[in-house]
Amino acid sequence: MYEISICHLYPDLLNLYGDYGNIQALVRRLEWRGINVNVHPVSIGDPFLPDAYDIVFIGGGQDYEQDILHKDLLALKKKPLIEAVENGTVFLCICGGYQLMGHYYKLSDGTEIECLGAMNHWTIGHEKRLIGNIVFKVDGLKQQPDSLVVGFENHSGKTYLGDGVSPLGKVVYGSGNNGEDGYEGARYKNVFCSYSHGSLLPKNPGLTDELITIALKRKYRDFVSLQPLNDRIEALARESMIKRLLKV
Amino acid sequence: MVKLINTIRFYSALFLGKLAIYLLRITGSGGTSFPGKLAISVCPDILRVLGSKYRIIMVTGTNGKTTTSRIIEQILKENHIKYIANKSGANLISGLVTTLISDVKFNGTPTSHTALLEVDEAAFRAASKHIHPAVLVVTNFFRDQLDRYGELYSTVEAVKEGILNNPDTTLILNGDDSLCASLGRDVKNPVIFYGMDKLPESEEDNGEVSNSDASYCIYCKTKYEYLYHTYSHLGFFRCPECGYKRPEPLVHVVRIPAMTSEFTAVVFNTPSGSFQARINLPGMYNIYNALAAVTFAEALGFSHEGTAKALSTFESGFGRMESISLGEKNIQVILIKNPTGLSQVLKYLATVEKPSVICFMINDNAADGTDISWLYDVDFEPLKNIQNRVSKIYVSGIRAEDMAVRLKYAGIFTDHIIIEKNNPAMLDSALSTLNMGETLFILPTYTALLDIRKLLKKRFKLKNFWQ
Repeated sequence: MYEISICHLYPDLLNLYGDYGNIQALVRRLEWRGINVNVHPVSIGDPFLPDAYDIVFIGGGQDYEQDILHKDLLALKKKPLIEAVENGTVFLCICGGYQLMGHYYKLSDGTEIECLGAMNHWTIGHEKRLIGNIVFKVDGLKQQPDSLVVGFENHSGKTYLGDGVSPLGKVVYGSGNNGEDGYEGARYKNVFCSYSHGSLLPKNPGLTDELITIALKRKYRDFVSLQPLNDRIEALARESMIKRLLKV
Repeated sequence: MVKLINTIRFYSALFLGKLAIYLLRITGSGGTSFPGKLAISVCPDILRVLGSKYRIIMVTGTNGKTTTSRIIEQILKENHIKYIANKSGANLISGLVTTLISDVKFNGTPTSHTALLEVDEAAFRAASKHIHPAVLVVTNFFRDQLDRYGELYSTVEAVKEGILNNPDTTLILNGDDSLCASLGRDVKNPVIFYGMDKLPESEEDNGEVSNSDASYCIYCKTKYEYLYHTYSHLGFFRCPECGYKRPEPLVHVVRIPAMTSEFTAVVFNTPSGSFQARINLPGMYNIYNALAAVTFAEALGFSHEGTAKALSTFESGFGRMESISLGEKNIQVILIKNPTGLSQVLKYLATVEKPSVICFMINDNAADGTDISWLYDVDFEPLKNIQNRVSKIYVSGIRAEDMAVRLKYAGIFTDHIIIEKNNPAMLDSALSTLNMGETLFILPTYTALLDIRKLLKKRFKLKNFWQ
């Protein structure tokens, strides 16, 4: 029987905007297919073992909380996290978690906050927040034939991608990474980053299954593909927003 | 000359505001912010001028403002104090102005001398520059609509700034909330804390990871230790590093002799003795609202008899567990607006023993919060436990489908979810499902509440919400 281990990094600190929904979507969609799943919270003071998890989730936090975990992240988690990324572990990093994977976060007063440097991107803080619904196009999502992913973004940092990192998708509605280049999120090895928080995975089952499929393929050589589920309600939720935002 | 112009401005603003209130009422729309906005545009200083004419009691915080205000209102009534209050949740600056304008006569003299004002926690800082309350009651701080308010700690900071503008105001603070209690530290104001003792109903600190809003010390960022939790991050907190801890409450709940789905019986301990009262609304969070109001009554030296009577007779606010009896069937409308609030409502629903029908109405207009991700911060476990007693579950509102997805991923009602965005159709269908003595619980977000309230009013001839 297949089994997937999920690491929820700093769940008591990085849990803004319904981040927990992403964990729940992964867990349910694994359970509904009879695949064993266990979730491991890893927080301040806990060791992060680079080989112990199949999927790692990092959510977003308020400045206050991100400040609390910063020291622990760099001292205790940085090395093994980078190792896990390089090993091909599946990551989903949202908002603050996305920013933390890059080189630095530069505040509007010029101060640079050191980040993990696991990926080649960086973030510049701005006064004006980019807030609102977002629709972006991610190629190759099996259950979402229109390739459209729907979410909600709320960030003051503008993120820029360097060499070796590709965008997760192309913005169709909303701001995305920086509101300038038309891209949203980032991909590097098996790391998926996005500014779309909260209900990203529940409402976009194609993306959820993509993460699960990669994780299973990496772990089990005999694994071929996931059995399809009834995603009627998810499709209704996604499509009603696409219709409303894109007026199609 | 300047003085004369200001005087002319004030009276013109007053006249226009009163006219607007009158016109809106006869047309039946009952707008509560437009008259205030109009008056402010004519006389920007009007809130200060009006506010100086009243003894002001203010209530702010994330959850429970309206219910706490309604109880305080009843306490004022019991003590024969003439007051004006912003009843319909018109709690932004414009709403406060509208409320005061409606009470002041054309010559500028107030009809009542006491104003009970519920103020949006984000609008409090701005309001505090113009009006100076005698008493400020703060209920709690939870994460709310982050797209509108920004981060929780900035909201706390903003309320703190508002307090610094008013060093003479008596503060009545929830001592069980580490964020709220921090408002009482290092200020010149007289401060009174309220709280709940460790009760059989409180939860032990099991060290489990919870989606808590304030797990780490507001002063030194060390993880709090808890002797007990009442709900969410409320409880007996203590920081092992800097020593910040729950302040000793002056007024506290010592016992809960009865907790049913209709009411709660509570024993309060105050410096002037203990007394038991029946709170005519259920739910742990309403005990806190009652506690805040009791502390207010204590601060003003009111009798326990009057306070107890007020607790058992007050009318719940617009959409705050508002009950509508339709002969043998009932409708109860409960506003939901943030994770802690909805989690508490679900806990209450779990105490309802009879079968029921539930309808979630989720909108994403600006006043609801345009981001509905908060639904994923809600613990739906209590609802899971009563699945067999809920005969149908409807989802309605602009984001009905998203609510359906949320329920599906909570692992409940997957086969019973009915998406019905047409409210009259939902109401008909839901009511026909109910048997005698059963209740339809409608759980709307703010603008969905306005919609459903309008429909219910038309159907069942309810009072206008501004009455």
